[in-house]
Amino acid sequence: MTALEVKKLLILLVLCFSPVVTADDLPIPSRPEELVFEELTFQPPNSADFRHLLDNGVVVFLLPDHELPLVDFSFRFTGGSYLDPTGKEGLGMLAGDLIRSGGSSSSDAESLDEAFDFLAANAGVSVGLNGSGASLNCLASNLEESFTLFIEMLRDPRFQTDRFDLLKSEIIEAMKQRNDSGDEILDREWKALIFGRDHAEAREQTLASIEGITDADLRWFHKTVFNPGNVVIGVTGDFEIDTMKTRLEEALDGWAAGNRCSAPPAPEAEFEPGVYHVEKDIPQGAIYIGARGVVRDHPDGTTLRVMNRILGGGGFTSRITNKVRTEEGLAYSAGSAMIPGVHYPGEFRAYVQSKSRTVALASKLILEEISRIREEPVTQEELDIAKNSIIGTFPRIFESKNTVRDLFVNEERYPRAPGFWKTYRDRVKVITPEDVQRVAREHLDPARMAIVIVGVWSEIAPGDLEGRAKMSDFFGGKVTELPLRDPLTQEPIGP
Amino acid sequence: MLRSCTLVLLLLGLTLPLAAQQVAPEVYTLENGMKFLLLPRDTQPNVIAVGWAARVGSVNERPGITGISHFFEHMMFKGTTTIGTSDADRDGMYIREQETVRSKLRATHLDQQYERWKRGEIADPWDQANDTPEMSDMRARLREIQESQKKVIRKNEFDEIYTRLGASGTNAFTSHDLTFYINNVPSNKLELWAWMESDRLQDSVFREFYQERDVVHEERRMRTESTPTGIYQEQFDAMFWQSSPYSWPVIGWTTDLNSYTREQAQDYFETYYSPNNLVGVIVGDFDFDEAYSLIDRYFGRLERGEEPPRVVTLEMPQLAEKRMNVECDCPPQVEVRYHAVPFGHRDEPALEVMAEILNGVTGRLRKSLIEEQRLATSARVIVDSRKYAGSVGFSGECQAGVDPEKLEEAWYGELEKIQSEPVSERELQKIKNQVLASSYRRLADNFSLMIQLGYYEALGDWEYINEFARQLTEVTSEDIQRVAGSYFDPSDRNVGIYRRKASGGGVAATDPLERFAPEPRAMVRQYLTFLPQMPLEQVEEMVRKMESQVAEAPPDFKIAIEFMIEKSRERLSAAEEEN
Repeated sequence: MTALEVKKLLILLVLCFSPVVTADDLPIPSRPEELVFEELTFQPPNSADFRHLLDNGVVVFLLPDHELPLVDFSFRFTGGSYLDPTGKEGLGMLAGDLIRSGGSSSSDAESLDEAFDFLAANAGVSVGLNGSGASLNCLASNLEESFTLFIEMLRDPRFQTDRFDLLKSEIIEAMKQRNDSGDEILDREWKALIFGRDHAEAREQTLASIEGITDADLRWFHKTVFNPGNVVIGVTGDFEIDTMKTRLEEALDGWAAGNRCSAPPAPEAEFEPGVYHVEKDIPQGAIYIGARGVVRDHPDGTTLRVMNRILGGGGFTSRITNKVRTEEGLAYSAGSAMIPGVHYPGEFRAYVQSKSRTVALASKLILEEISRIREEPVTQEELDIAKNSIIGTFPRIFESKNTVRDLFVNEERYPRAPGFWKTYRDRVKVITPEDVQRVAREHLDPARMAIVIVGVWSEIAPGDLEGRAKMSDFFGGKVTELPLRDPLTQEPIGP
Repeated sequence: MLRSCTLVLLLLGLTLPLAAQQVAPEVYTLENGMKFLLLPRDTQPNVIAVGWAARVGSVNERPGITGISHFFEHMMFKGTTTIGTSDADRDGMYIREQETVRSKLRATHLDQQYERWKRGEIADPWDQANDTPEMSDMRARLREIQESQKKVIRKNEFDEIYTRLGASGTNAFTSHDLTFYINNVPSNKLELWAWMESDRLQDSVFREFYQERDVVHEERRMRTESTPTGIYQEQFDAMFWQSSPYSWPVIGWTTDLNSYTREQAQDYFETYYSPNNLVGVIVGDFDFDEAYSLIDRYFGRLERGEEPPRVVTLEMPQLAEKRMNVECDCPPQVEVRYHAVPFGHRDEPALEVMAEILNGVTGRLRKSLIEEQRLATSARVIVDSRKYAGSVGFSGECQAGVDPEKLEEAWYGELEKIQSEPVSERELQKIKNQVLASSYRRLADNFSLMIQLGYYEALGDWEYINEFARQLTEVTSEDIQRVAGSYFDPSDRNVGIYRRKASGGGVAATDPLERFAPEPRAMVRQYLTFLPQMPLEQVEEMVRKMESQVAEAPPDFKIAIEFMIEKSRERLSAAEEEN
């Protein structure tokens, strides 16, 4: 007998002679650390196993799954609202909405909407800043009908005039609400400050830019972005691979491929570090603290993710949340985010909302945490929590067929280094406290950051009742007052 | 109210029609009365969606402790005698010391400060700025104790343990009727969940009680007081519900939030968190045998408690219309709300189908109020059926220049149509097709399925998830006419009229087209869209035509045509300059 077989036999014998153990008798460990878990092995799926090339060169990812009688299509296009010409801000978004709601060559808008709704098919078109998409989720039983309507809408939208006109007036009404909520003002001024008001990240549509958009503009945008030269397709659900390939080839047949849209331009703006403030009568100040960040493929990317988990991105297990919320009770919402950019460096920002009198104190505590993670190494325990969490939740990145499909489609358009996901957990495992400190020092500099605050300055400036912090403590007390902007023109209001 | 995030979204998801495809969890009930719904599914491997709900929410509260259900939900994350402290004895001692000082401080507020406030000497009995020297001393003492306690507290250890072991989305939310504790655990860690949850159900310690109260104050400021319409919606609810406990907000009134004691929280726990008032839900990658054995061992150790007290007070019938006029930093809008039916009432499906016929891209409200009459930019009807009472309400935002009262009138017109004419077969069939499709779509995500099952069971019976869907597909045109006729009495109306506040930093420059009535405005906007690309000869032609018609046009259109002529002339003269 081999050693293993002996062991097995022993186990069997022990089992036979043990008294019957019922569930209730098993002792409950006194702490959760004493629990023993079975090994969970997981290997991320390989995109090549699902990748197909249509005869016109378009890449598709097909992930059939017959559990539910539904089919889900995602078409992702290169090109987004960064292509809006100056003076036509809002064009991309308007074009996207109208491709969906403005009818198609053979159906007027009303009939098309009615047909989708009657088939219980969910169709959507969206144009984002740096990418666009179209999606369809329908019952497998009416796939033919739903998909035909969807493709015709995408290839040959009608841009029906009354819908165009209605949408414009809806957009204008929505624009009037721009100063209603403090968070929205904060988002806008923050983007304008760190990316520059003229960059696509911060450019705003105005009444004039929306009024000036014509039918010809819509058609130009549609032709430029929504064509096979820009598309990657992914399909999940109840279908067979061969039939789906044929269906897609037929759908794209004769649809002229344009040139692939060029990448969005990188922002060039620089900002002056310091405190910036917009006046708004709300009982709670809304605050961002941060600066420009890194690109997605930066070699420090993974370490930065771990660093930010410890600093403020790990919910209740991160320092900012612990300090500002749990320990001091100064905010419900407090933390930090490291948002990388695919095409150009993204942003780092810490955020908090606190009653006017404790805005200064909350900001001070956040800046102290940013300094601390630069100045001293994180504890091994903090690092372990962050690393184990990233490793333990890794399978969730590939949780469903749809999340896998979306990941494959995205990375076909913006490829990552080969083996990125295969080696991901190993790269996380080897990160040390010194690595975390190095990336914090390199990428976070409180002296080069902006603090942007929306709220009532007369209540915010003096600080808390106990005198722990006041606004003049920051950047030598220098404050740049930002004007509220007219919601329709984006011109400064007042003197 | 969530410990972190937004309940509204979750609950909106639940009001969508649910249907045809059956959901069939295994029901497993322990001797102590705790019921479990178990649904193993392998579509999302490696992860299990887990949660448990207590059948308690703000509806179980009373004046003086409003908001305590939600506050309590926050306290459930503070640990136990095992989790969250390095020295349970000293921790307990500090907590008792704080309580002694706190109860003195609280009494001073309620006696002395309330008296001063009643006499008009101070504006707010709870504002720290109005503290007497004696009270400042008490606060200083509390800070000292808190500082000492910090040394034995392991902050957020509960979250840390879960996070370190790969759990995610550890959270909870409170509504009027239930409190739900949720997360995702890796498929090999169901035992971790059983350990952690049964531990806090058996042995919760409400430490950092008063710091967390400040957190909830900030939550209230963020969700209710700093949003454009938050406090007014709270007022509207308080106006709408007369005698029902639904009249106070889930987050609670500020005075109550200021005055809860640890003892009240402890009472609440003992009254409402016995296993016989709880339901657990497990959906995902696990097998029955493992689940049965873990449930037995861990949750089986909880002791059955007395049945919690029943809710007694029902809503008194409303006898006269109520109206509320608001000016805020918000778009002009209107809400009209009526009393309707509780969860599980036999008229709920017909009301829901009626709402679906009115809502959506091809619904009647969009067609009529937005596209044809051009009165609204958005409009919808929401059926809100809670455990003990329900409502149905219309709300819509106005297009430029439209009075909210005009939109209100238009709603009554739509209502009359649905009351007097049967809905078409096609409209009904469309809703039924959508019910069928969503009965599959709701199965796509384990986490949301887990929440739906727990929600249905906490409000009544999980089987209603299937029953309600079946009933939706059986609703007839007569049913809709009947409910449209019985639940929308004018004397039961509650109307909220919202207008934009003039000085709110809102709209400074106005839409130049706003001065036109909706119909001529549409015409102008359309004309301006075409104008830049029109050949010059055509522009000249248009100007001639308009000039010949302008005299006979109705007044509304006259000023609009004059404006179009002016714009056309601008284009012509600009073209001349270019040449």
